[in-house]
Amino acid sequence: MRKIKFINTPVQNKTLLLVFAAAVIPMAIVALCLYYLIFNMLAWQMGIPEMVAYNLIPVARKVNIILLVSLPIALLAIWLTALELSHRIAGPIYRLEKELDIMIAGKRQGPIKLRSRDELKALADKINKLMEKSK
Amino acid sequence: MPFYHQVEAEGSMLLKRISVNLFLIFFIFLLTADACAARLPKIFPFKEKNALSEWQEKIFRGRVLYSVKAGKGTRYLRAYSENSASGIFYEIKFDPRQYPMISWQWTVLRFPAAQHELAGNAAGEHWIEKDDYAARLYVIFPRLSFNLTKCLEYVWDKDLPEGTIITSPYSGNIKLFVVESGTDNVGKWVFAERNILEDYKKAFGKEPGRVGAIAIMTDTDNTQSTAEANYKELKVGYKDEK
Repeated sequence: MRKIKFINTPVQNKTLLLVFAAAVIPMAIVALCLYYLIFNMLAWQMGIPEMVAYNLIPVARKVNIILLVSLPIALLAIWLTALELSHRIAGPIYRLEKELDIMIAGKRQGPIKLRSRDELKALADKINKLMEKSK
Repeated sequence: MPFYHQVEAEGSMLLKRISVNLFLIFFIFLLTADACAARLPKIFPFKEKNALSEWQEKIFRGRVLYSVKAGKGTRYLRAYSENSASGIFYEIKFDPRQYPMISWQWTVLRFPAAQHELAGNAAGEHWIEKDDYAARLYVIFPRLSFNLTKCLEYVWDKDLPEGTIITSPYSGNIKLFVVESGTDNVGKWVFAERNILEDYKKAFGKEPGRVGAIAIMTDTDNTQSTAEANYKELKVGYKDEK
């Protein structure tokens, strides 16, 4: 298992940002819509402004505090998940490129070795087969 | 095409689609909002027995009895509150910059037991317990977020002088205008007319957005007493002819 999760390659950076944005943007839109819809509809249903100020605004304040506390935790969890996913994709690409560079430079012969759980293992196996054939 | 370029292209395509969809939803929302604009002026004479069917009842604490009554050749809305606070609410959307006027007739038969003191006084923290009025009329200006909704309230108060503007103890977004004061006109019909555009500017220091609703309330929940008031000939959204 690879210990370093962030290898700082363009592929990982882009994948990381894309996965993070793909999780955070829809989540933010849904959360905002729900927040807006629930509180605004409740406020409109209450109608009388004093009723809204007395009953709804204290609840909204509590919800805001809970959101302020839980939001950084949720964002951190999403970031870590995005990091893990981006690493699963970027790690093997980086490794594949490195292996191919070594072979092109003639420093080593033989098959490209990737970990069995790596996403691009099947691709590496096919490159190995192709190299076997072309010998 | 390299894998990461493909991922990037698909990602930006997805973002573009989301943006287009959001824009469409917003556009439809704007169109719908405009289509819901009311026919003005809207007049509520309270002459039909079922005149309250177009109003929604909003109960805060206990139920105030609102009913259409007949008397001395006229029909009117009667509100009778006993230790209670509830209002009637009517959704009406219009631009107060175009149609700034509102008028009505009202009479108070009985005031709540105690009247409040001015906002900002030392006794302000207890003021909320005295926030009852025999008669009040609301003009509500909704905003995108409910906590920014502003409201003008026109009240008939026994003690505060006419023309007083106070902030509600419940929220800074609610401003109360004392339109009628004292007991001299108790039992008599009094005509009131307000320019909500000017009142809003006076109360909040800026131009208002669209009006979203009006409401009527007679309440006695805070003072735990009894109040009675009548309303008639409510006319909403017309131009100032003066």
